[in-house]
Amino acid sequence: MSQANAETVLVVDDEEPVRRTFREWLEGAKLGIRVLAAPDAESALRLANEQQIDLAVLDWALGAGEDGLQLLQDLYAFHPNIVAIMVTGYANQATPLDAMRMGVRDYLDKNHDLSRETFVAAVRRQLDVIRPAKHSRQMHEGLVAFREAIDKVLPIVRSAGALTEPVPIPDAVRSLIRFLRQLTAAKQGALIVRHYDATKEPAESWIAYDAEGQTLATEAIPLSRSLAASVLSQQQASILTNIEASTAGLIDLQPFERGHRTILAAPMPVGSGVQAVLELFDKETGPFDAKDQKLVQTAAEFATDLLRQSLGQRQQQAMLLNAVEAALRASDQMAESLHGTAETRREQPPPVQVLDELRRGLESSTNPGVADASLQLAEAIRVIGLKHGSAALQHCVRLVESVRQLLDETLGS
Amino acid sequence: MGLRDDVLRLLDPQRILRDPRADGEGVVVCVLDSGIEEAVLRARHPSMKPVQGAVFLADRPTPLPYEGKQSTPHGTTVADILLTIAPKVQLVSADVFGPSGTCEVETVLRALAWAVDVRKCKVVNLSLGVAEQKLQTLPKRQQFLRAIEDAYFKDVLVFAAAHNDHPITRSYPAHFAPPLISVDKSLFEDPLRFAYALRGQIEFQAHGRGYLGPFAQEPATSWATPHLAAIAARILSLQPDLKPFEMKTLLYWLSR
Repeated sequence: MSQANAETVLVVDDEEPVRRTFREWLEGAKLGIRVLAAPDAESALRLANEQQIDLAVLDWALGAGEDGLQLLQDLYAFHPNIVAIMVTGYANQATPLDAMRMGVRDYLDKNHDLSRETFVAAVRRQLDVIRPAKHSRQMHEGLVAFREAIDKVLPIVRSAGALTEPVPIPDAVRSLIRFLRQLTAAKQGALIVRHYDATKEPAESWIAYDAEGQTLATEAIPLSRSLAASVLSQQQASILTNIEASTAGLIDLQPFERGHRTILAAPMPVGSGVQAVLELFDKETGPFDAKDQKLVQTAAEFATDLLRQSLGQRQQQAMLLNAVEAALRASDQMAESLHGTAETRREQPPPVQVLDELRRGLESSTNPGVADASLQLAEAIRVIGLKHGSAALQHCVRLVESVRQLLDETLGS
Repeated sequence: MGLRDDVLRLLDPQRILRDPRADGEGVVVCVLDSGIEEAVLRARHPSMKPVQGAVFLADRPTPLPYEGKQSTPHGTTVADILLTIAPKVQLVSADVFGPSGTCEVETVLRALAWAVDVRKCKVVNLSLGVAEQKLQTLPKRQQFLRAIEDAYFKDVLVFAAAHNDHPITRSYPAHFAPPLISVDKSLFEDPLRFAYALRGQIEFQAHGRGYLGPFAQEPATSWATPHLAAIAARILSLQPDLKPFEMKTLLYWLSR
C-alpha cells in the first residue's frame, strides 16, 4: 500500500510512555499505517485539522479535565467517518449511547488484558473494516467528481455535435435535386433513404424526400420488391423506361414513383445499414440520355461521399454520447450500490464488545432486566439518528422526556 | 488447308449451339446473387425445374433455407436470362444479400464453397463483383483468388461479370481471369452470339440486355454474364465433363 493512501491512526494519551509504547506496538506490527500521537485534545485537534485521521486510539481520561469522548466528538466534526478505540479502566462509567453514536468501536481495559497482542489485534480488526469502507468512499467521491465533470461536458458535446453537423439532410436534398433538375430538365426528383438494423423492430425503415426537401409518403414495401433495390444492384445510374410493364410482378412502386414515363435513378450505397437512391422523373425535353446518366452518376457519387461523411460524424457523435451516457448510468448504478453498502454497514448492529460494555454499564446502574429493553430502545434511536439525522434524534429525546414526565406525574415518582 | 483448320471447321456455332439437345439439360447452374423470385420465373418458364437454394447471411455461419423469394430483383433477372437461353438447366440460388440488401466478400466465399462442394454445381454465375478500391486488403483478395482456383481445379466453370465501368474500374473476381471466364457487356442481335475481346484482362463479351425486371433493358455486365454462362450450359448438355480450360478454348473458337 502506498504511504499516501495509508490509513492514519492517531494515539491520544496524556502519558508519554503509553504513547511511545502504543506507537512502537503499531509500527512493529507492520500494519501499513501512519501513526500520529498527541498528548492532549488540543494537539490532537491540530493534527486532525491538518490531515485525515481514520482511527483514533483515545484515552478515556486525558487528564486536566479532558475526556476522550468529548475529544472524539470534536474529531468527528473534522472527520465524520472516524472510528475510535477507547482505552480505559473505567468502562462502566462510559456514556454508552453517545460513545456508540460517536464511533467508538472497541474498548481496551488498561487494568486487565491490555497487551501488545490485544492492542494490535483490536487495531487490526478496525482497520479491516475501515479499509473497504474508505475504498468505497473514495470510489464514491471519484464517481461524484466524474459525474459532475460529465454533467458539465455533456451539453458541450451535444452542442458541438449540432455545430459540426453538416448541412441538414432536407436542405442538402433540396440543393442536390434542384441542381440536377436544372442540368437534366427532369420534372421531378426524389431521394429515398433506407435504414436497416436487424436488431430493431421493424428492421427496415424508409424515408423519402422530394425536390423541396419535404418528406414524401411511402408504403412499407420490402427492399426485395422495391425499385430502390434494383437501382442499388445496378451499381450505376440507370434509365428505366416502360416502367409499369418492366416492373409488373417483380417489384412494387412507391406512390411517388408511379405514373411516370421514365426514371433516371442512381444508387447511393452510403454504408452499413444505410442505402439511398436518387431518382429523377420524366425529362421535359425528351428521354433521358447517356449524358444525363453520367451527370447523375457523378452527382450521386459525390452526394454519397457527403452522406457517408455526415453519417460517420453522426455515428462518432452518437458513439461519444452513448459512451458518456453509459458512463453516467454506470456511475449511478455504482453509486447506488455503494450507497446501499454504506447503508447496510451503518445499519449493522454495533460491535459485540461495545454492546457488552453497554450492557454491563446499564446493569450496574439500573434495575435487573431493564438492560436488554434499554439496549433495544437505544438501538432503535441510533438507527433513527442514522437514517433521519440529528433533528429526528432531538424529536426522540423530546418524546422520551414527555413519556418520562407523564410517568412521573402519573406514578408520582 | 491443314488438319487444324479441318478440326476447327467442325466448331461451328450453328452446329453446336443450335443443336436441339443443347438446352442445358443435366447442367446445374448456381445463381450466386440476390435470390430468385421463383413464382415470377415460373409464370414465364412453365417447364422450368424447381429452384433449389440457400440464403447466406454475414452473421450466420450456416445458410438459411431458400423459400422461393428474392432479396432484390437482380437475381431474378439473371435467372430469367439463364432459363431463356438454356431452359432445362437446374437452377440453384445462393442468395448472398438477404434482408440487409448488402453483401460481404466473406459471404460470397462461403456461398461459392457451398455451390462447389455441397451442391456440386457445374456452373457458377457471378453477376456481381467488388470494385478494386473496395478490395484493397491483399490477404482478402488472395482468399478470393484461392476460392476461384479451388472451383477451377474441381472443374467448375465460374462466370464473373466485369465492372460496368470496365476498363476504368477493375472488379474482382472478374479480374482473376485465367481460372474463370470473365464477361464484359456488348450488344448482339442474337443473344447466342458472343465475342472473345480481351481488354483489360476481361476476355469475353456477351449480350448485355435482359428480359425481365426494371433495368433489364439497360445494358449491363450483370446481364451479359448469364448469357455466356447459359451458352456454356447449352454446350455442357452436349458434353457434360468439359473442364474450364476446355470450355474457354471452345468458347474462344466458337466466337471467331
